[in-house]
This record gives sequence, C-alpha cells and structure tokens, in this order.
Amino acid sequence: MTEHIVKSYEEQLQNLTNTIVKMGGLAESQFTSSVNALLKRDEDLADKIAGKDLKMNEFDIKIESQVIDLIALRQPMGIDLRETVSSMRISSELERIGDLAKNIAKRARYLEFDIPVNIADSLKRAANVVEKNLKDVLDAYSKRDKDIAYRVWNSDLEIDKLVSFAMDELLKFMKSNKKNLELSTHLLFAAKHMERVGDHVSNISENVYFLVTGDQIKGTRSKGEKSASTKN
Amino acid sequence: MIQKNINIKNAIEVRNLNFFYGKFQALKNINLNIIEKKITAFIGPSGCGKSTLLRVFNRMYDLYPEQKAEGEVKLYGDNILHPKKDLNLLRAKVGMIFQKPTPFPMSIYDNIAFGVRLYENLKKQDMDARVEWALKKAALWNEVKDKMKQSGLSLSGGQQQRLCIARGIAVKPTVLLLDEPTSALDPVSTSKIEELIYELKNDYTVIIVTHNMQQAARVSDSTAFMYLGDLIEFNETKKIFLKPDRKETEDYITGRFG
Repeated sequence: MTEHIVKSYEEQLQNLTNTIVKMGGLAESQFTSSVNALLKRDEDLADKIAGKDLKMNEFDIKIESQVIDLIALRQPMGIDLRETVSSMRISSELERIGDLAKNIAKRARYLEFDIPVNIADSLKRAANVVEKNLKDVLDAYSKRDKDIAYRVWNSDLEIDKLVSFAMDELLKFMKSNKKNLELSTHLLFAAKHMERVGDHVSNISENVYFLVTGDQIKGTRSKGEKSASTKN
Repeated sequence: MIQKNINIKNAIEVRNLNFFYGKFQALKNINLNIIEKKITAFIGPSGCGKSTLLRVFNRMYDLYPEQKAEGEVKLYGDNILHPKKDLNLLRAKVGMIFQKPTPFPMSIYDNIAFGVRLYENLKKQDMDARVEWALKKAALWNEVKDKMKQSGLSLSGGQQQRLCIARGIAVKPTVLLLDEPTSALDPVSTSKIEELIYELKNDYTVIIVTHNMQQAARVSDSTAFMYLGDLIEFNETKKIFLKPDRKETEDYITGRFG
C-alpha cells in the first residue's frame, strides 16, 4: 500500500495496527497459559494470568482512544476507515478472550484432584484448535489475508465438535461418581469458555475479512451436532 | 454497478466524450450516466477534468473558440453538443452555480427576476410569486423577505450563494451544476448549502464538483473519481468511500495520492 502524504496520519494508523498485534500476541499467550494452568492445576500460573489480564484491558482502552482520535481528527475513508472500525471491534473481541482465559485459569484453584487423562486429552485437543485459529486469525490480520480469515471462520465447527465431545466425556465422568461433580462442573465451564474463545476468534476473522474486502463473509457454516451437554 | 434498477431514469447520458483545450485533451472518452433526481459528485485532483466535464453539460466552453467537445451528451435523449443547439434554452434547463457567489449588482428581487425575464413574460404578481418560490426553495426567504430591494451584494457570502442557487432555480431548470459551491464559505453556511442540496434533489438532478471529499461523501448518491482526464471509477458513493474497486480511487480518497 502506498503511504499517506501526511506522515503523522500514517504513523497513527501504524500505531493502531501495532497495538492490535501486541494485544493479539498477549491474548494468544494468555489463552495457551490458561489451558496449561488448568490442566496442570498450576495456581501460580493462574495468578500470573490474572495479573496480565489488566494489561489486556489497558490495550483495549488504548485502542478505543486511538480509534476515537482517528475518527474525530482524521475522518478516515476507504481502507483507513475499514482499518479503524475493525480495529475497535477486534480489540473488544481480544479483550473478551482475555477475560475467558482468566476465567479458565481461575478454575485451576478449585480442582480437588488431577484431571483424568482422557478428559485432559479431549480438552487439550479442543484448546489446540482454538489456539491455532487464534494464531492464524492474527496472522491473517497482520498479512491482510482474506483467505486465511475465511478458513478460520469456516473451521469454528471443528472447535464446537471437539468441545461437545469433551463435554460428553465430562458428563459421563460426573455420572459415574458423586465425588466427580465439583471438578467436572468446573471443567464443563472451562470447556464452554474454550468454545466461546473460538467464537470470538471467528468474530475476529469476520472483521479481518471485512477489513480486506469491504464485504461481510458470505455463506453459512453448518452447525455442529449438539451433544447432550450443549443442548438448549 | 450503479444501475441495478431498470426503473432508474437517466437525466444525462455521456457517450465517448472527448474534450480539448486547443491541442490539450482534457477529457478522454468519458462514458457515464447521471441519474435523474439524484446527486452525483465529481471528485479528483486539480486538473483531472471534473470541472471541464461539468462545464460541458451547459456548453459553457462555447464562450471560448479554441475549446471543443466531441462525442455525445444527451439530456433526456437530446444531444446537447449538437452545433445548432439553442444555448440560452439549454442554460435555462441546466443551471450552474460557481465557486464564488456571483450575485448581480442589483436588488435581491431583481437578482432572481432577471433570469426569469429572459425566458418568460410574467405579470408582476406572478413574478413576485416566482421570486418568493425560488427564495423559499433556496432556504433564503425568511432572511431576505423584508429587504428585497437591498443589493444582493449586501448579503453574507453564504446568503449570496443561496441567492445564486435561488436565481438558478427560478428559471425552473431540470439539472443544477454546482462547481465547488461551498469552498468560499464558512462551515455553518456550508451546512446550510448542503442541506439545501439535499432538499433540491426532490425536484432536480444535481451534479456537484468538490475538492472536499467529506462533502462528496455527505451529500451525494453517486461519485465519479476522475484523474488526468479519465473517468477512473463511478459508483455508489458508499462504495467509493468504503471499498472502491480501483487502487487509484482508494489512494486518492485516503490521501495516499503521490
């Protein structure tokens, strides 16, 4: 892209992009760490994640103020307008991802015993896809790549299926022994949060697609089969 | 594309239009349709041909012998470039408002009545009614109704521009051409003119040339981006300012034009 004639405008937009990239990087590490904290019942790591969530909120506030400045002072148009508007939306999606990561990590404190291997594996499998999609969507943003954005958008279904599978396993585990109730409940919430992170990643992909093309993503994603736990 | 709806009627159809200032070609094979009762904006850097194109629509260039247009410009099917075209009649149908307000050095009343007298022979009371109608249309009536005999030059810049618009409307044109109509005005007067332009589209086809892109975005339905005599892109205004098809357009509207 050719540079703006007005250098300070160029810098302002570049700053906005840089802030999103940094915030995205932090969101990635927060989510990955939160899953590790949960699966390993690592309370210290959970505390660190909670601390860093403040940084996520600061990023969100900073981006909002950068966006308002741009709109008020520059009246962006074309790609600059799309950039500005989608940055604000992406920032709030990332902020929500940060909150969910904090919440997943927090549950590490309430697990009374180690998570059974099969359940840990199922949760990990779902988390891996979420992580990959989050990484890919941030790449799509940096590279302004609509194809990657579309792929991420279209693969949300996979996450839903993996989460459903993990939840079904958790239900079985719950039913097998009353002692498993509390741990399973926390893990059900964690699984649901992972799915929600996936949804926010998918929203980001819609914004990246709009940023690049000026259009909304078209087509319908078929919804995954509902498990017993995700009905309603 | 702009014309999805087959019921849309074109006020002006430009076909293979070339324009020359002596040997210099200022417009290169322009083709576009101006939709009736819509506002069309022409944008582009200085020298891109947007004002030239506007001036073709009422044969302004006829005043200068070394300037010539080739091709066709049809106003409701009638080729206005035809050499035998009655230019006075054409200019009554296609009115023009300029960058700087140009009231005549005569009373406010006569500023409006002057043009009408050229084309129509109205009784005093009919003329009074026409002057009032035009001033009301131009949203100036309330400000001048008690001083109709004062000189048009005594008005503020914004009022003078609205007076010129009233003068243009008074002869009941079908098309209004606005060449940078607010570039000499303060923001409040600019808003009043923009509001007026929006009102005018109920009755007239409006074409506006502007350097102010935000203004084009605010007031127009369709926007044409021109560069070096070429029509680069012509589309719905929303499309032009959100996601234009051509890189040149995007570079221009975002201030990246080198």
